[in-house]
Amino acid sequence: MRYLLVFLLWFSFPLFGQIEGKIQVPYIEFPMKEGKGEYSTKGKCNMCHSFGYIINQGKQSKVFWRKKIMKMIETFSAPITDEDIEEVVNYLYENYGEG
Amino acid sequence: MERRDFFKKAMVTAGSVALGSSTLEASETTHPVDDRAISPIAFPEKRPMIMYSDRPPLLESPREVFTSALTPNDLFFVRWHMPMIPKYISTNGFRVKVDGHVDKTLSLSIEDLKTKFKQVELTSVLQCGGNSRSAFHPTTSGIQWGAGAMGCAKWKGVRLKDILEHAGLKSDATWLGFNGKDKAVYSETANFIREMKLEDLNDNALLAYEMNGEDLPYLNGFPLRLIIPGTYSDSWIKMISNITVSKEKNKLLFMEKAYRIPDNECECETPDKLVEKTKPIEKINVNSIIGYPQKGSKVRVNSHIVVRGVAFDAGSGIKSVQMSVDNGETWKEAILDKEDAGDFAFRAFRCTFNPSKVGKLTIMCKASSNAGEVQPLAKEIKWNHGGYRYNGVDEVTIEVIG
Repeated sequence: MRYLLVFLLWFSFPLFGQIEGKIQVPYIEFPMKEGKGEYSTKGKCNMCHSFGYIINQGKQSKVFWRKKIMKMIETFSAPITDEDIEEVVNYLYENYGEG
Repeated sequence: MERRDFFKKAMVTAGSVALGSSTLEASETTHPVDDRAISPIAFPEKRPMIMYSDRPPLLESPREVFTSALTPNDLFFVRWHMPMIPKYISTNGFRVKVDGHVDKTLSLSIEDLKTKFKQVELTSVLQCGGNSRSAFHPTTSGIQWGAGAMGCAKWKGVRLKDILEHAGLKSDATWLGFNGKDKAVYSETANFIREMKLEDLNDNALLAYEMNGEDLPYLNGFPLRLIIPGTYSDSWIKMISNITVSKEKNKLLFMEKAYRIPDNECECETPDKLVEKTKPIEKINVNSIIGYPQKGSKVRVNSHIVVRGVAFDAGSGIKSVQMSVDNGETWKEAILDKEDAGDFAFRAFRCTFNPSKVGKLTIMCKASSNAGEVQPLAKEIKWNHGGYRYNGVDEVTIEVIG
């Protein structure tokens, strides 16, 4: 009986290291500036990464934001259609531009 | 649009016009941003840190950790590239595979690593190539890190060399590829795979399962990560699950495009004339940082101040650290802690002074390595498009009160 107990205990505590159960990285809301293109930018970019990943690149030129968006489309298959590109570029530049 | 918003917009527009005429030439490099707030929300196994993103997680260590030679696990910086990180890893079920140009393919559990190979402990700095990137102007590509995208830990694991020897390398084996369990959102797009030339592999490269005597924290790569002392952390793959030996170099996004600097003598360029030929950032340069005091610290005039910090380089070891409290006119030798953690580790230093005048005072620290490298002044550092390898003489301005 004692062995059975030890046996059961052994299997009820698998070796998870220091983590028990699933890890939950907290969701952080990064407030976005209001402006034209806010919602399409939020929808298209936040599918894959946080808005913090964008704004913490610092204030950047229009050329920079355009290049980044093209990289996201071409390299990471971001679902940004041709018509949306301008809107997202303009939103980022107007609100997070180097000016 | 509300009136207030209109004025805000008008101001932004005016600002951009004013700066619009500035040239694209690189201007003077300054010091990295030093006043970012600690996020109120703690991430798993971490204390609250400076936070840039939750997906992927990006956390920076606050300056005060750099008063000691080891960085605590729960304040150690975090940088992931891919947003999809497994939420759960069973230590029992986890395997690291070794395949490609080897005699026998391996699939090793953490238990295998702990029992079948020689156990090695090594203390080493882990530093992001873009650490302190916010010092560069104009703003470069990449997260605008302050000075805390680095840390030093005592790692325990097994030598990568021993693992490869166990698998048996084929005679034409030339490159090693490393991949972890983090993934891009769209499965067909580039993953964060890094490669290393087999000839660059030495005894110091480890597959580590332990950090400062504990299991690796989840966000630092639990249950296994690659350690390559002396190099920037771009190839220190976290949650490493695949090691592939190949004959030819593969075309990989994160090798061809990212973590590269101009391949010219000054390793520099200007925004309007980027250098075409680039090379990997690789070896870290000599650096030091003041952990205490911090920006805005208040001290009494004539009190005894002990400045504390850490210095490091790529493994030649720190020869000296000097401090100046008169804008670099005169320098005083700092006392280095006894060297017992090896040359890849942070070398803690301390230096005392008595502020004699009320007002603002700037403390500067400058490290020299055994290899003869000396930290340049921030303004002497030349621009590169990725904002990599900043190592300017650190400065902290405090307030001396009566």
